[in-house]
Amino acid sequence: MKKYFLCLMIVFFFSCKKEEGCMDPSAANYNSDATIENGDCTYNLISININFSQTVNQNPLVLNEMIYTNEANDNFSIQTVRYLISNIFLHSVDTSILIKNVHFIDVDNPESSSIIVNDIIDKNYTQISFTMGLIENENQTNLYLNEDFFPSFVWPEFLGGGYHYMQLEGDYNNLFLGYATHTGPTNGIDYSFTKNFDIPTNIQDGSSITINMEINNWYSNPNVVNLYNGIMQNSNIQAQLQENGITDVFSIVISK
Amino acid sequence: MRLFNLIFFFIFISYGCKKDPAPISGCTDLLATNYNPNAIISNDDCIYFNTTPYTFQNPYGFPNMNIPENNPLTMEGVSLGEKLFNDPILSADNSLACISCHQTNSSFSDPNPVSVGIDNIAGNRNASALINLGWNTSFNWDGSVLSLEEQAFEPVINPIEMHNTWQNVEITLNNHAEYPQLFKNAFNIDYIDSNHVVMAIAQFERSLISTNSKYDRFLRGEVQLNPSELNGYAIFNSEKGDCFHCHGSQMFMDNLFHNNGLDSEPFNDLGRGKITNNPNDYGKFKTPTLRNIEFSAPYMHDGRFFTLEEVIDHYNSGGKYSSTVDPLMKKIGVGLQLTNQEKEDLIAFLKTLSDTDFINK
Ligand code: HEC
Ligand code: HEC
Repeated sequence: MKKYFLCLMIVFFFSCKKEEGCMDPSAANYNSDATIENGDCTYNLISININFSQTVNQNPLVLNEMIYTNEANDNFSIQTVRYLISNIFLHSVDTSILIKNVHFIDVDNPESSSIIVNDIIDKNYTQISFTMGLIENENQTNLYLNEDFFPSFVWPEFLGGGYHYMQLEGDYNNLFLGYATHTGPTNGIDYSFTKNFDIPTNIQDGSSITINMEINNWYSNPNVVNLYNGIMQNSNIQAQLQENGITDVFSIVISK
Repeated sequence: MRLFNLIFFFIFISYGCKKDPAPISGCTDLLATNYNPNAIISNDDCIYFNTTPYTFQNPYGFPNMNIPENNPLTMEGVSLGEKLFNDPILSADNSLACISCHQTNSSFSDPNPVSVGIDNIAGNRNASALINLGWNTSFNWDGSVLSLEEQAFEPVINPIEMHNTWQNVEITLNNHAEYPQLFKNAFNIDYIDSNHVVMAIAQFERSLISTNSKYDRFLRGEVQLNPSELNGYAIFNSEKGDCFHCHGSQMFMDNLFHNNGLDSEPFNDLGRGKITNNPNDYGKFKTPTLRNIEFSAPYMHDGRFFTLEEVIDHYNSGGKYSSTVDPLMKKIGVGLQLTNQEKEDLIAFLKTLSDTDFINK
């Protein structure tokens, strides 16, 4: 009994000896013995890429060819794909870091398909989130005057002002008919939406996160949407496109 | 021995005196315009190169102007640029100035469809209106040059425009009664070179800002648009007319290139495609601003339309099909289907973009 008591005392004594140190497992100086956070964690810095890709029926986008068919049975080609992705954040358990406020993607400009993110702290990022388009209070006329999507993305003040979220254009059914899937704030309603994706594998220096847009899904699930060339005042279609957008237009892939 | 020393001393002194009778006084500051390299004593009379900044208010809804770091706008530079712009001295036979083709009351464009140079040879393009150019990201109908400085090199030596040589221009200007001093005042240079000629012209061109049209006053709440103009504004700014997608923002242009359905293939003028060699760019041209459009007839890159009515009829008809025609123009064979009243309204709106202050400059 005495022996046991001694043992217990020893265990007790050891556990009472509190060690101070950095308790964040993703820190460079993580101390697994620490029981008190001393607030002195240091982190390695890593650089990653955020890429933007586009597919149609899971295959890489091909421009200017009348080779696609949507759920509504319109044949179509794709000539213009431009869109704004905003508020891109990486999240770990205890922090969120802003990668970029607003990013303009234009498939005609290969440089716009990638954001190089230098020197972010090496944490265990578990989620990425972003907004398709611009949320209402960030979508005002005369903001972004010096950005590369000005003035081509201007949504006229007559229609409420601000900026388009997306300009997707091409021909449909015959070469003489153009469609324009132009999304944006319509009749005073904000149709932007935010997506949140889990990051399944730990990202490290040199990793890339690719955000893919499956273009044909804008027109299919759950709403079957026809191609039109005048939807900038049509709340109905904007709402349907938004719902489709939220469902399955975006996906992410992590490499390395 | 002493005597010898004394003589030696005198010789020494007299030599010293000969060499340097009295130390020269003058301005000893390298940065001054009257820096005297021989001066030893500073006379505190240095004159420094000093220009007055040319200030302007950035117009409502416009981005920052593109101004090269080495060529800020100054009062001296802008007025020198204006003098050069108006002076036929830049042309080989002293007969043609920039302003001959870019006429003030035509919003600095040519009232003739295509311009004729000093040798009476006509080009194949309409001289662009020069208006709010400080916000353009490329110049000429095909965007062949990226700065106003670079652009101004061209007309002077273009055989079908001013047909001169820059060497000749430099000689003439350096021997002129006024220009050397004006260049000295603007740029602090003693020899006029082509670089500074184009810098002055570019400064003047950047000062050609028009933002006092009826439409601007309407935005500022100073005047009302009448019902016809308001209806035109609505057609312009909605997908009914769909003009704003290319002639958008307060700049009324998008700094991009489009094919607005003027011609079918093969194109006479490849436009943007001639510069990029990309077949997808064939037949595309830079969207011109519509500010002051009332004054800058005739219209389009080749001046094919003489009136705004013809322009609107073109858009209303749907235009011609070609492989590069813009998807936004694609209601081929259908067109905008505007009524006569709506066409008039659209034109009435376009005329609210007229700024008489600008053409009376
Ligand atoms: C013979 C007539 C002629 C003369 C003289 C002339 N230009 Fe032009 N200018 C033109 C034409 C034609 C164009 C359109 C050229 C094109 O797009 O290929 C043009 C285009 C321009 C542009 C491009 C504007 C834009 O919106 O892209 C600028 C700037 C310009 N000229 C400045 C000048 C200056 C400065 C001078 C004098 C040094 C001058 N021009 C003399 C006929 C002329
Ligand atoms: C697809 C883009 C696009 C659309 C839409 C468009 N334009 Fe244009 N516009 C252009 C381009 C590009 C040019 C110059 C074309 C050329 O000269 O080859 C032009 C030229 C013009 C000109 C002549 C300008 C000049 O200085 O010569 C006028 C006027 C004009 N457009 C008015 C309109 C109106 C009104 C509408 C709406 C009904 C409209 N545009 C719609 C692209 C467009």
